[in-house]
Amino acid sequence: RSAYCAASVASLTNILTPALFAGTAEWIARCQNWEGGIGGVPGMEAHGGYTFCGMAALVILKREHLLNLRSLLHWVTGRQMGFEGGFQGRCNKLVDGCYSFWQAGLLPLLHRALHARGDAALSMARWMFDQSALQEYILLCCQCPAGGLLDKPGKSRDFYHTCYCLSGLAIAQHFGSGDLHHEVILGVPENRLHATHPVYNITPEKVVRAVMHFLQQPVPSPEPVA
Amino acid sequence: EIGLIPCPEARYNRSPIVLVENKLGVESWCVKFLLPYVHNKLLLYRQRKQWLNKDELIDITCTLLLLNPDFTTAWNVRKELILSGTLNPLKDLHLGKLALTKFPKSPETWIHRRWVLQQLIQENSLPSLVTKGNLGAAPVERIHRLVQEEMNVCSEAAGRYPSNYNAWSHRIWVLQHLGKLTVKVLLDELSSTKYWVSMHVSDHSGFHYRQFLLKSLIGRTVTDKSVLVQNQMVNEQNPSLQKEEESAGAEAACAEEQSMDLPRHLEEELELCTELIDTYPGHETLWCHSDETLNNSHHSPATSHMAQAMDVDGLNESSSKQGYTQETKRLKRAPMQDSLGPEMEYRFIDKVLSTCRDADQARFATAYRKWLVTFLGQ
Repeated sequence: RSAYCAASVASLTNILTPALFAGTAEWIARCQNWEGGIGGVPGMEAHGGYTFCGMAALVILKREHLLNLRSLLHWVTGRQMGFEGGFQGRCNKLVDGCYSFWQAGLLPLLHRALHARGDAALSMARWMFDQSALQEYILLCCQCPAGGLLDKPGKSRDFYHTCYCLSGLAIAQHFGSGDLHHEVILGVPENRLHATHPVYNITPEKVVRAVMHFLQQPVPSPEPVA
Repeated sequence: EIGLIPCPEARYNRSPIVLVENKLGVESWCVKFLLPYVHNKLLLYRQRKQWLNKDELIDITCTLLLLNPDFTTAWNVRKELILSGTLNPLKDLHLGKLALTKFPKSPETWIHRRWVLQQLIQENSLPSLVTKGNLGAAPVERIHRLVQEEMNVCSEAAGRYPSNYNAWSHRIWVLQHLGKLTVKVLLDELSSTKYWVSMHVSDHSGFHYRQFLLKSLIGRTVTDKSVLVQNQMVNEQNPSLQKEEESAGAEAACAEEQSMDLPRHLEEELELCTELIDTYPGHETLWCHSDETLNNSHHSPATSHMAQAMDVDGLNESSSKQGYTQETKRLKRAPMQDSLGPEMEYRFIDKVLSTCRDADQARFATAYRKWLVTFLGQ
């Protein structure tokens, strides 16, 4: 989780150096376990939140191939619930709206990584999870009538679940980017959200603007000020 | 343990604190007065606007943390008190344990606990305060008691919240950093958690812990074997170091003895899975655990070593002998990688598929069967 925060900030602000992340990629890879997912530290149980953070950090560091992508794919696709359509955070746990992003958000990252490896079996229109079923879960089960979104029916709304249910909805609605963009919008057209960047979870335009802005700034020196 | 007593109004002119046997309760009406009061006092202290002496700090942080143990600043104030020798770190283990009875997941409580434990095992840096009480014993015994207590705390917290990730993660951390992952500790934990997981068949964290134990055992077996080989090599080179090697030899033999049991432990784990899957249909965790245990049996260096030992020792020869020793019996039971293992699994799966009425159970069994076919190629 901390590694992702660091990699995310460093890459957007243009202070990412090999020295800053020496050994980080290898350490994250050690957090992948026998289940295929990633835990908080080496040896821990695979967990949706940590798996997203680990994978996204590795994508930023361009070292995602240190992971066993096949077992990761197997684990995350197994986390979509057959009845509910939403995702669980770990094996044998209940569905939770926030995993709409942490778990489903892994599939664009995996798609990209496998595509880079020249995988010919990849779809050119869909992510490797049931996009419609996830949208159904979010729209039908995770909305608070007074506004905002939530974990599951019966829970109360909060900003965290509102953010990640919406982020997950955006992932489920938009495949690919640019020429290869394909939309699947469940329900009325008004349900359509802007696409979100699968690594940073802000809109792609904002990522570009942030990167451009910091590229124009002088890079601070790592030495302490006297 | 601690708890909140639902009591929206103060009915009597008396203290809201209720202590019955070992249970500490706080009437809920007072929290909205108490929490802001102590919270504010601590913040003023931190901002250097209001001084608090050491006893007041201990009291205030204690109150705060029992009401909200995820208040990091309060734990950090106690870290400072511990480092200055004013506060006995054991008190924080006790406070944390109490907080966990009401807040079994509390991340900050577990994090602080690990900091305290790290302080405790760095014996030299501690003031004499710590050697009082049960820590007067020898270091090894002392660490062992700490480990046991942590296992209990984790177990209780795991029972208070299903699939308690933080509690089980802490348990793993304790074994890695305090227990040194000795074979004895691993086997003790395997046996002491067996009943618990049987009573919590959907608790993925509990079963994951058993995978951690089994994999650590497999890892130890490999290490012990290489230690054995190294010792043998040293023996050959230095026959004059006879006495030293005898004890090392005994130790290695002991390790070898325990590592010999590994195939049996894996077999027992598989039996446990089968029994639980039969008794409690439709729990994905059990299937997941079963898959991985079979995986371990197939790939375990211990069992592949067993196969080599059998080849080298010529099992055909020994089976023709009259004596059927404990050793040959164990070797015969060991191989999970011959045709017996998968065949048993197939029979089990087909039985489940033909008799189960639970839709999830059928789905898991079908998936497991597919996995067996692809993975074992039979």
